[in-house]
Amino acid sequence: MPATTGLKIVYIIGLPVAGFLIAVLFLGLSRKITARIQRRYGPPLYQPIIDVVKLLTQKENISHGLLFDLGIVLSLGGAVITVVFIPAGGIYPLSTSGDFLVVLYLMLLSPLGLALAAGASANPNASIGVSRKFTLALGYEVPFLMAALAVMTRFGTTSLVEVVSSQQGSVLAWGLFVLPLPALATFLVLPAMLGIRPFDFVAAPQEIASGPLVELGGKYLAFAALQGALHTYIVVALFVDLFLGGAANMLTFFAKMLAVFFVGVCINAVLPRVRVGQALRYLWKWPTIFAFAGLVIATITRG
Amino acid sequence: MDREEILKILKSPANWGQKYSLWAVYFCTGCGVVEIPPVITSRWDAERFGVLPMATPRQGNLFLITGYVSVKTLGAIIRTYDQMPDPKYVVGFGSCPVNGGMYWDSYNTIKHLDQYLPVDGWIAGCMPRPEAIFVAVVHLWQMIDKGMAVGYKRYRENYDYYQRNQRAVLPHLPKFDLSQDALVQRSR
Repeated sequence: MPATTGLKIVYIIGLPVAGFLIAVLFLGLSRKITARIQRRYGPPLYQPIIDVVKLLTQKENISHGLLFDLGIVLSLGGAVITVVFIPAGGIYPLSTSGDFLVVLYLMLLSPLGLALAAGASANPNASIGVSRKFTLALGYEVPFLMAALAVMTRFGTTSLVEVVSSQQGSVLAWGLFVLPLPALATFLVLPAMLGIRPFDFVAAPQEIASGPLVELGGKYLAFAALQGALHTYIVVALFVDLFLGGAANMLTFFAKMLAVFFVGVCINAVLPRVRVGQALRYLWKWPTIFAFAGLVIATITRG
Repeated sequence: MDREEILKILKSPANWGQKYSLWAVYFCTGCGVVEIPPVITSRWDAERFGVLPMATPRQGNLFLITGYVSVKTLGAIIRTYDQMPDPKYVVGFGSCPVNGGMYWDSYNTIKHLDQYLPVDGWIAGCMPRPEAIFVAVVHLWQMIDKGMAVGYKRYRENYDYYQRNQRAVLPHLPKFDLSQDALVQRSR
């Protein structure tokens, strides 16, 4: 969609807002679906909004210093800027030729911000959480980057918009059917990227008192919650764009995201938590093998 | 949600948030905590009231003192309370925090919790049923609506009184100058 400058600015402001609304709705849905799976009634759909409102009105009785504040802002800012780069149902205000690579880099900004804040808070639980986060990132980045490379090789582009446009036409043109192995690999690492069970040891409340979030309260926790919600949006939207053909309009895009997220919630609701070592062993085994095989096939069939 | 509720929310979103999003500190203070797992899991499902267990005091705003309070635990309770952000609510659960309960002549428990911390409400009984927690939560909602759940303000205003009582049983508690925003200092 060729956009004028004015429209572009509207999109740049509107896309994070829309992403945030979608993500908060997902958060509420996930709590409701989890409750129903566990045979509970569950909170109302708008419960995350109540929580964020409450957190914003709370008054912290402590300051951990400037780096702590800036780390949270960097984390939220990184999530917001990543959302703008991901094509969402025909809206892509900042698309350039290499935006896939930009997104891959920007996705690391949010954990980095949280790590800075956690380091400044000087809480051992936070440090353990951060080290677990980066170990987990090491685990899922390997298969995910291979799968991303396979996508780039197959479609011959580093632009997310072109990746989406090459999947248009029939359902069989979707990345899911063109590149089944990388799609499977990315789906297998999706819980790790989202930080949900079985890979939720980063912010495990029972072991390390919610990890990097342990010293966050009030407004800090509200910002961290918004960042977490946007991160969910980013990962799910990226999966939809790479393997489910993106979408021509916002509604289809939302429906596809909902489908992916629903599967994720179901996995989250029934599986227990694994340890860090088990997670790495899993992530570097099957997803990596599938992604590598997919990359080789993509390279050969292209050549 | 009915129509009157929407008007109330628009009048004070903060009140709305604080009412329906009570995050309880996940802290086992005594035997009463055995009633908490059924409350937060499938059988009684506290999440439909917006009550969630939180692992760290920084994230909580509801502090359930579940059961007897030994002198050693009191130190941890005071530290935890100081670390919670305002507004925060303390609910004494079971008869032991009310008047000592069956530990009324014990050498190492405290008898009246409200001499050491501002308590917003009590749930009497030994043990109270899980339903009693929901009665307490609904009661707390009404108190928040009427502006009566102001224990955290009382704590700041009468800090001398509370600190004197705390130090009578816990002499090692660090002493701070109130004019220097004592609570900020101590929660470090």
